[in-house]
Amino acid sequence: MALRTEAQTLAHLRSVGGGPFFAMRLWAHRTHLAGLLTLAAVAACARGERTAAQRGVAITDDAGRRVTLAAPARRIVSLSPAITELLFALGAGDRVVGRTTWCDYPPAAEAVPNVGDGLNPNVEAVAARHPDLVVLYPSQVNETAARQLERLGIAAVVVRQDRLQDVARAARLLGFLTGREAAGDSIAGVISRGMAAPAAPLGTRLAVVVWDNPPMVIGGGSYLDELATLAGAENVFRDVRSASATVALETIATRDPDVIVLLRDTASSEPPRIARRPEWQAIRAVRERRFVQLTGSLFGRPGPRAAAAVAEVRRLLREVGR
Amino acid sequence: MDRELILDVRGAAYRYPGTAEDAIAEVSLAVRVGEFHAVLGPNGSGKTTLVRVALGLVEPRSGTCEILRRPATTWSRRELARVVGVVTQREDNLFPQRVRESVLLGRYPHLSLWGRERPEDHAAVTRALERCDTLSLADRWLWTLSGGEYQRVRLARALAQEPRLLVLDEPTASLDVRHEMELFELVRGLVDQGGLAAIVITHHVNLAARFADRVLLLSGGRTAAGGAPADVLTRETVERVFAWPVAIEPFEGCPQMIPLRRKEAT
Amino acid sequence: MKWLGLALAAVVAFGLAVVLGPAHVPLSDLATSDIVRSLRLPRAILAFLVGGALALSGASLQALVRNPLADPFLLGLSGGAGLGAVLAIALHLAGPWALPLAAFAGALAAMALVYRLGLVGGAELDPRVLILAGVVVGAFASAVTTAIVSLSEATELRNAFLWLWGGLSGASWDTVLVACVYFPIPVAVLVAAARPLDVLALGEEPARHLGTDVEPLKRRVYVAASLLTAAAVAVSGVIGFVGLVVPHAMRALWGHRHRPLFPAAFLGGGALLAFSDTVARTVVAPRELPVGIVTALVGVPVFAFLLRKWTAS
Repeated sequence: MALRTEAQTLAHLRSVGGGPFFAMRLWAHRTHLAGLLTLAAVAACARGERTAAQRGVAITDDAGRRVTLAAPARRIVSLSPAITELLFALGAGDRVVGRTTWCDYPPAAEAVPNVGDGLNPNVEAVAARHPDLVVLYPSQVNETAARQLERLGIAAVVVRQDRLQDVARAARLLGFLTGREAAGDSIAGVISRGMAAPAAPLGTRLAVVVWDNPPMVIGGGSYLDELATLAGAENVFRDVRSASATVALETIATRDPDVIVLLRDTASSEPPRIARRPEWQAIRAVRERRFVQLTGSLFGRPGPRAAAAVAEVRRLLREVGR
Repeated sequence: MDRELILDVRGAAYRYPGTAEDAIAEVSLAVRVGEFHAVLGPNGSGKTTLVRVALGLVEPRSGTCEILRRPATTWSRRELARVVGVVTQREDNLFPQRVRESVLLGRYPHLSLWGRERPEDHAAVTRALERCDTLSLADRWLWTLSGGEYQRVRLARALAQEPRLLVLDEPTASLDVRHEMELFELVRGLVDQGGLAAIVITHHVNLAARFADRVLLLSGGRTAAGGAPADVLTRETVERVFAWPVAIEPFEGCPQMIPLRRKEAT
Repeated sequence: MKWLGLALAAVVAFGLAVVLGPAHVPLSDLATSDIVRSLRLPRAILAFLVGGALALSGASLQALVRNPLADPFLLGLSGGAGLGAVLAIALHLAGPWALPLAAFAGALAAMALVYRLGLVGGAELDPRVLILAGVVVGAFASAVTTAIVSLSEATELRNAFLWLWGGLSGASWDTVLVACVYFPIPVAVLVAAARPLDVLALGEEPARHLGTDVEPLKRRVYVAASLLTAAAVAVSGVIGFVGLVVPHAMRALWGHRHRPLFPAAFLGGGALLAFSDTVARTVVAPRELPVGIVTALVGVPVFAFLLRKWTAS
């Protein structure tokens, strides 16, 4: 099927008149999926498999690369834990034939063969799984790997998933690539609705500390900042545009967050290391031992469980008190 | 009345670790106040090794070395530096220095750990500079000096130690005739007037013959001959040791060696 | 006089470190501000001590290995410290002092290994072999560290590198106390070695004849300089440039005699690091730059100026 131009697509969208869907569709058009998605929308709850199975799928990925599949992907290698999660959430988990060491959710993912840590993809190991689609997150190294995979005749798609809005888009994209458009839309819908409706403000000011020496905090450009905001709290370092930044202790002390949020890989009842460092006592939240510890991958990466993550953050914040 | 014995080496033998043969064997040397000794010999005959053993830097395999009647190895380096001033063959100065600063280093063995340089130290430096005729160079940078001037400065540094014995290892190696003569005259003067003793290791057989009181000729680590220059520097001995035909001619009572060209040798 | 100028620079650097910062503390509140008392003051003092230690260590090592390009991290200490730190994190060692102690232990292990390798003929420390051994040991330790980090599954390990790149954010009165107890002995050993090092500059054999016990001197200087550097790394990671350039800058003004050079280097290094840390904390506030970058950016123009002055004379 020929691709339409953006203008034609927009015109078509308006003519279809899907009011409530219009906002979401505007996002989708950016990847030139519009024509195909319109059909899917018209078909409403149609079984997506039948639609996409009948035609080739072509998309432009987040690295601007044009990728074509003859048919919806049947054997997928995912080189990103967030993508793995999303694939399983789309109901395409049985098609995942390769994952990274870090793909730990859902538990079923651990049964999938491990093709490496994904930081510097082992193209041979990936190819050995005979995939028809490989999904990677954006990075210099991965884009090189994607080119190498293409030379081997394997379709490689780069999908970004740094923030919540990326998740919605990725859900749609992957839904399309796997012929599970309905599931993709549904997930995207949940996310978009969730993003549009943050919880009632708790009045809590927090700082998310990811490392103690040098002190590193999460800034406004990060998923964790989104989680905090959606949970009804305020990140005192929102003004820092990057995802994370090194700051001086006295800056944290001056901005005086009510709560310090920390990330952990595994649960532990021990108080955090910074609780005992003498120089951190200058910060009120540390003196008062007002810590929230976020454990596990639920908070580390954006994904379809975002709503659960927000709810958990909110619960923990309420627990530690105002 | 014997003059005071400063250095007494008897039958010393030393072998460098990992070598098959002795670097020196059965070598003896006795140096008294007011004596100028020359140590001669072909390359590799053990001249520098002798000095190292004599000054206790290494322990001899056999034989004894005494300085002021104590075994050389019982002297601490600092004590010894107050008695013996050595001008080595080479020095590798890491930083640019002025002459006066460089000579001041010679006062190191007299300075206490934390103490500053005292007026007597500066006075000793000035005296040393004067005796070596380098006072006019005192504020010059070392790297601006000529070879001869630099050697005199090094000698001044050794003198600043206020030693009883001076040891110079090939001090005129790269000097021209004028500076060579000046240096030997200087050392001779110091021995005669300053109550010092001196040992000079040198290749210059002729200068050794004219300036030294006693000559020690080494060959293959052993003593080929020792004594007054006229006794040591005979044609047979010199030809044997240096493996080259020579003629010996007297000059002002001292034997002078003249190497012969192949066609002149009989 | 030069000393007056240096003392003034040191006082000003210290003052700025206390008065300036990303948090605005009015002058009137300085004495009572908690931020100043528990964060800025110990940090300024620590910066001074660490900067001074690095410069002093660098000056002694330059004399010991007879190489003007020597710096405290030439002898493999930063590699050892990094490996120690990474192992501490990988093994989940507990306690707030785990990381610094492990880094210190790693640095000491590197020091011992380099020392052993630098011994030639079983007894003599050869400066050239020492440099080679240091580079090799450091590179090996770094390679092992990188391997552990790249193979590991904990994101914490990658953050270990951040710590290693240097910073004084871990400063507290506790750290200052430890430094004040620990530093004086190695510093005293080095200052006492100043004059013998002048003599050693003539060469090992002339130095012996002038009354220096060369082997013990080399050992003392090596161990003391390494201990100072190991402590500096344990407390503040690897801060480059100070140990290399401050001694040269001070030589441009004070000449090569180590007796005045060592104290001058200590003061100069302390002032440079204190000032650089202030800049690192304030120039892109609320963010903070790694202090090693600032020491280079600040130090190079100062050094260039002094170099011109020196070569012109």
